[in-house]
Amino acid sequence: MLKRFLLIRGAELVAFALLSTIPLLTSNSYALGLLTLLAIYGILLIGLDVTVGYLGQVNLAHAAFLGLGAYAAGLSVSLLGFGMFSALAAGLAAGLIFGGLLAFPALRLDGPQFALATLSFSALSVTTLNELESLTGGAQGLSVSRPAVLGHALNAPGFYWLCLILLALVWMAMRNLLASQWGRAFEALRDSPIATDAMGVGTYRHKVAAFALGSALGGLAGGLYAFNFQYLQPNSFVYELMVILLLGIVLGGRKSLWGAFVGASLIVLLPNLLSNRFLFQVFSAIGLLLALAAGGRGLLKKTTPPFQALAPIVAMGLLVVGGSLVQNTEDWRKGIFALMLFSVVVGLPEGLMGFAARYLAKLFRIAPPSLPPPAPLEEVLAARTADGAPLLELRELKRYFGGVKAVDGLDMTVRAGSIHGLIGPNGSGKSTAVNVISGLYAPTAGELRLRGSALPQGSLFQVARVGVARTFQNLQLFGELPALDNVMVALKGVYRSPLPLILLGLARDEERRAQAQALALLDLLGLKDQARTPAKDLTYGAQRFLEIARALARKPDLLILDEPAAGLAHPDVSKLVEIIKRIHQRGITIILIEHHMDVVSELCDVVTVLDGGKVIAEGAAAEVKRDPKVIEAYLGLANEAAPDAAPLPAH
Amino acid sequence: MDAFVIAQMTVSGALMGLVYALIAYGFQLTYATSKSINFGQGELVMLSAFFSLTLINTGLPYWLVVPGGLLFGVVLGLFVERAAVRLALEQKSEGWILLTIIFGLFGFSAAENIWGRDDRPFPTPISSDPLQIFGVGITPLEISVAIGVFAVMGLIELFKRKTLLGKAFEAVAADRDAAELMGISATRTIMLSYGLSGMVAAMAGILVSPITTVGPTMASALILKAFAVAVVAGLDSGFGVVLIGLFLGALESLASFYIGSGWREAPGLVLLILALAVRPNGVFGKASIRKV
Repeated sequence: MLKRFLLIRGAELVAFALLSTIPLLTSNSYALGLLTLLAIYGILLIGLDVTVGYLGQVNLAHAAFLGLGAYAAGLSVSLLGFGMFSALAAGLAAGLIFGGLLAFPALRLDGPQFALATLSFSALSVTTLNELESLTGGAQGLSVSRPAVLGHALNAPGFYWLCLILLALVWMAMRNLLASQWGRAFEALRDSPIATDAMGVGTYRHKVAAFALGSALGGLAGGLYAFNFQYLQPNSFVYELMVILLLGIVLGGRKSLWGAFVGASLIVLLPNLLSNRFLFQVFSAIGLLLALAAGGRGLLKKTTPPFQALAPIVAMGLLVVGGSLVQNTEDWRKGIFALMLFSVVVGLPEGLMGFAARYLAKLFRIAPPSLPPPAPLEEVLAARTADGAPLLELRELKRYFGGVKAVDGLDMTVRAGSIHGLIGPNGSGKSTAVNVISGLYAPTAGELRLRGSALPQGSLFQVARVGVARTFQNLQLFGELPALDNVMVALKGVYRSPLPLILLGLARDEERRAQAQALALLDLLGLKDQARTPAKDLTYGAQRFLEIARALARKPDLLILDEPAAGLAHPDVSKLVEIIKRIHQRGITIILIEHHMDVVSELCDVVTVLDGGKVIAEGAAAEVKRDPKVIEAYLGLANEAAPDAAPLPAH
Repeated sequence: MDAFVIAQMTVSGALMGLVYALIAYGFQLTYATSKSINFGQGELVMLSAFFSLTLINTGLPYWLVVPGGLLFGVVLGLFVERAAVRLALEQKSEGWILLTIIFGLFGFSAAENIWGRDDRPFPTPISSDPLQIFGVGITPLEISVAIGVFAVMGLIELFKRKTLLGKAFEAVAADRDAAELMGISATRTIMLSYGLSGMVAAMAGILVSPITTVGPTMASALILKAFAVAVVAGLDSGFGVVLIGLFLGALESLASFYIGSGWREAPGLVLLILALAVRPNGVFGKASIRKV
């Protein structure tokens, strides 16, 4: 534990200490200029990593936020006479506001549409900066003066220290934020937006928050950029810079502060690399050797597909051959960026730091931080009264898809403390009913009441907030997150610290409490030993159980289990039955959709049978099994001669 | 007088809009089969145009230049599929966005160094002396653009409907897994769609270059508007891109006339962001139901 702390925090301290002493050792203004840029690009890339790394979206607007922040800070000095800190705040605010504005239309989108929206925004920003000549000076450019700090004019080392201090502050705040429930929510909504909403963590506000936050850092970096160069031109913030920033993030390594730092160093050094032909040849030769080593190893071990191994070699080979043919490498700048970025994206998708982090963790044998002991289950799932009063009431519920009447007038009452089975043949409307109750679909008509008051309609998030939790038949886990974090994302009633405290790192107790509670739930489902395993690496059965643990973290009054036994091996089914009984003992009401009739018979107090979107029978399991209408729905004809035969498929 | 200016602006803008529509149609072809689009399509248009220009300069007759240019587009399209798209699709990731952007960047750099940074005229046998139709001047060159756009789109639609290969294309577009179960190779169909998309882009380049001249920067100018048309119309409506293309072309021509030529790009960009905000599936697109 101590070793881990010393190694990780130590590396950060040493790096910042070294960086801050350099101006005392040398007065080389060129080197100082590069270091200042390194700090500025560090902040910029940490901001970009929020969207590209944590949200997993291709964000093409970050260069525009740099520009908007730079102009806002520069103009606030020349027009409004702002000082250094208020001007930087203006840059930050510009990023925050424009980022928030763009996030509103963009937040419903992902993948290519998101990339397109950000691309358009960035083109629009450059156009506007170019055309608003009266304000920005247009393509002529804008001279910016560096304001004084507390009445003192800053010299070059002073400005460098300012940038470095800001980088350190951003670094610490982001480290705290990304390790908190916010960082987990960002990653959760990348892996499954639907489940994020269903776990009561709003994708909407988290996506806006993440994007606005990243853009605000872009704006802050823009302010520093303006006061560093003291001259701005709209064309500095175009597409090419954006590609360089992406190169920095991808090469450095996503989801990593160190990755952003490494990426920033690369961006700062690139122009020097390109202006010196010999340096470039050495560099590209090293690149080729790396690609050969990695590709060859991958091919021999058969861990990478041939294309993934060979393509970087070809690209780097082109770079080496091109470097010896072309006289002026500067002319081919964009092509060189393209080949480098291509090699990294294909050959080293995790980036340098992703690669190094694994390697270093092995080298120093850094154990993951220890976990607290599980909290007592009573603390996590407080006992609820099972008084048998109606908890959930559905009246005349309808949901049509065009002409298909998936649910067509469903009446059902689920009583508090019961296990209510919902069965029916395939296509009978069970899943649609559950999707309407949980808010994925809005009902076409009908009434839904929870504890007598109307249940929110058509919003997974709001339904989750009033105490309904669900699992998904087709697993919707947060694949990249460890099992423990999957549960912690959903955990209700633990996170109370406001954002500023989290940023300052003063919410650690809360985090420990959340871990203890999540562990208790994993323990209940028999997954305690796999707490650190990423959800996508768990066995299928374990993934199904993790879905239940995550839903329980909502501490729900009503738990909807959508075919929890589907695809489970037989021992796991028995285990599932025991677990559901234990959950039931805590007084949690359960709706169980299941095809395994033995599971339904053993657990359910009441069973509702659906066919064609309507209720055809309701009662105790043994009763409905003998109901001729149920038998007909399953088998196609009524066998009234042998009512005791109970000929339902038991899977 | 003013009415004639407006009419003139509208008509020549709308005819340019057809070129955007054609490029947007190229996005739809690949989106249908693979749910991916080439972010470097603008560079593909530009490279094909430069290649055709080189063919013209070797003295090849125009009727041989066109197929040569189209073939070059097909080859580039196939290259994009192989180098930038296939791996990402196999890994079910969205890496193709970044990789096609990279292709575009490399294509831009290559064009700058091979053909130079300056805009160059693109000679054509078709006259550019305007014909007066109801007081509005339209050049035969502009008419050739309209004919070319509709011919290419019509032929591809015919191909999709009438040939076995085309039906395979439609099958993969409708349901990739089901098509594969029927023995249709989705990978080959996606290759086909990228080849066709490259051809369409090359055609757009050959059609537009005589009007706009050829230069590396034509890529970014065209691509943003084509994106706007594709997104506003919806990525699955061939009919929609033509309408939106005509509309957007006219709109930007009027905007550059009345507000200033620097704002030329603005209407498309604003429309694109608005469309994404209000109707992410486009005006003519179909909304899909979220399933779990």
